[in-house]
Amino acid sequence: MPVLFSQIAFYVLAAVAVASALGVVINRNAVYSMLSLIVNLLSLALFFLSLGGLFIATIQVLIYAGAVMVLFLFVVTMLTPGGQAQQGDDPLRWQWGAGIGMGVILIGALTWAGVTGAIAQDAKAAGLNSLTAAMQSFGGNTEAFGMALFHGYAFPFEITGLLLVAAALGAVALGRRPDAADE
Amino acid sequence: MPLSAYVTLSGVLFAIGALGVLARKNPLIMFMSIELMLNAVNLSFMAFAHFLDSVQGWIFVFLTLTVAAAEVVVGLAIIVSIFRSRTNIDVDELNSLKG
Repeated sequence: MPVLFSQIAFYVLAAVAVASALGVVINRNAVYSMLSLIVNLLSLALFFLSLGGLFIATIQVLIYAGAVMVLFLFVVTMLTPGGQAQQGDDPLRWQWGAGIGMGVILIGALTWAGVTGAIAQDAKAAGLNSLTAAMQSFGGNTEAFGMALFHGYAFPFEITGLLLVAAALGAVALGRRPDAADE
Repeated sequence: MPLSAYVTLSGVLFAIGALGVLARKNPLIMFMSIELMLNAVNLSFMAFAHFLDSVQGWIFVFLTLTVAAAEVVVGLAIIVSIFRSRTNIDVDELNSLKG
């Protein structure tokens, strides 16, 4: 019975995720696209939860669907005046056809790689440290993640901090008014 | 659910995001489509972490989240500064780097 429940949950969540992803691409109003994207992020957080990633699901909701998307929504509402939604003829209309063709090819290739198991065999060959063992020995989901992050991956974590500082400085430099540059 | 179901769903979401980047011309929506692609990859990382019983997938998702945050900050700053100088942010007409 729990297997059946997880299958139903998968299909419902998958439908929500795909529909909201299509909503992001199709909506003409950028604010509606934005809200659709937030639904998509939340459905992915539920997927992460069902895959046992409690900590990752939490930071997905708190940081991604919360903080990052609020920043995004500010800029979207600032840059989308009411009358801008209807525009003239699309000068590059063929891009829709090209995009859909590329998308279908991409879906086909990724599905083939997933179904034939080519990706999974590569990943298995890479030699991986066990998640369940870590969770048992460190006493929890977040603990296992923290031990892995700060013991095996401390250097990438530090590089991440450098990246965030660079991004913040870059945003400040780009956000300055041009006439303030002389002073 | 088998691993292939998650990988297929992730592929579908990634393709929708790629379609958004290719077909839309509002840079904000192209940006959201990039977020869609990042999250599709995150889903497959989480699925592989679960099915291969490895903690590495979580680490990668964490790093992807950080990179996505940095990317949003810088990208939105660029879009705002373009909007400030041109008041029109249609990417089909943005063919010059000079402000």
